[in-house]
Amino acid sequence: MVPDLLDNLLVAAYLIPTLIGLVLVAPFGKTLGDKLAGRFEIMDTERGRITAGLQLITFFGFAVSAQTFWISSKISEGGNFCSSSAVFNCDDLIGNAELNVDPIFGLSWGMIGMVIFAFLLFMVLVLKNEPNGEYTERFINLGSLITASGILVILLLVSYEVQEGKICLYCTTAHIANIAALIGFLRLRRLHDDKSAWNAK
Amino acid sequence: MKGKLTIDDNAGTVGSAALSVASLFFIAIMIIAFTANPVAIGTDVGERAPDVEGKAYNGTSWVEFDFESYFDTTWEEGNTSGEWVAIIFMDTDCPYCQQSASSQSQWASTYSSNNPNWNGPHVNFLASATELDIQGHETSRAEIQEFRSDYNHNFPYIDDIDQDNMKEWGIPGTPNYFLIQPDGIIAWVSDNTNEDLEDAIIRLTPRDGA
Repeated sequence: MVPDLLDNLLVAAYLIPTLIGLVLVAPFGKTLGDKLAGRFEIMDTERGRITAGLQLITFFGFAVSAQTFWISSKISEGGNFCSSSAVFNCDDLIGNAELNVDPIFGLSWGMIGMVIFAFLLFMVLVLKNEPNGEYTERFINLGSLITASGILVILLLVSYEVQEGKICLYCTTAHIANIAALIGFLRLRRLHDDKSAWNAK
Repeated sequence: MKGKLTIDDNAGTVGSAALSVASLFFIAIMIIAFTANPVAIGTDVGERAPDVEGKAYNGTSWVEFDFESYFDTTWEEGNTSGEWVAIIFMDTDCPYCQQSASSQSQWASTYSSNNPNWNGPHVNFLASATELDIQGHETSRAEIQEFRSDYNHNFPYIDDIDQDNMKEWGIPGTPNYFLIQPDGIIAWVSDNTNEDLEDAIIRLTPRDGA
């Protein structure tokens, strides 16, 4: 019972900030942004709110990917981590040597997630600190492209979950982070097209 | 010597972001490296045995085979209560497999918890029966059942007529033996050694009171 609770708390530690990030990048996140504006100056503008949301999403996407990579390493040692339930069981997915690596290069999905989210976080930091820099448009387009490609990977990984009849909550959190990041980059793209909204103070 | 210098107004921002993310990545990798010790899956000694899949004949019917159920990942070296696994990759039409089949039935009964004269751990014997790509080696489940019965084998025979397990394990020829620890780690491989499976069991398994 206790391990179940700890396991759920750990998933929640990644999922809740990711969902807050999703709310911030979503059009309806203005209410939350306005409430936080008194405390965080960046929330004053829509661009600031979206980049702050993206920062949260990509950071926790990176963290949960690192966690899945760690879990796959621990399972290969012979331990078990999250096999407490028949359906919510990430050991059978992250611990499956055939399913926990990409089918082309054999790289761990956790490691791929870490690299991708780290790169997204790098681009978000640049966009946040230099919104009118020479890399702005390139990074917004690249971020949109990477996260849109991530949808194909999510579909493949969900097909593995369906095939095995198991759901991995850590993986699902990483998938939500990718979808949330896609929404954020698409909203930044639209905002960037409107120069007055982009540069609003 | 004259050099052409250009000013990049974004260099500071990009460099600072890259440094922050690289540091974060490095810290995460170091934490993983220090807290996990991954074991590779493979067929060499010290690696975790790959899965064996298919239907197995248990003497009465062909049932789904669960290789993982033979292992206890919490087993610790020296513990005599854990059950070991000896897996034989064979072909019913291979003459060497036929020659060694009688020894296998003897080993299976000797290195068993049912033998009061054996003070070591129980060794579960398994056979993965394949069909080598050699003329005259065509086989079937009926032939596998007959082979098992002819040599009085009482251990499960896994149907690997499609060679899936053989390919997964990288088996070059038959018979091929592996001795696996109770935690699923390969302890001994018959390739490139003059030692037979029986000697490996005696040498590697722990004994009560030893």
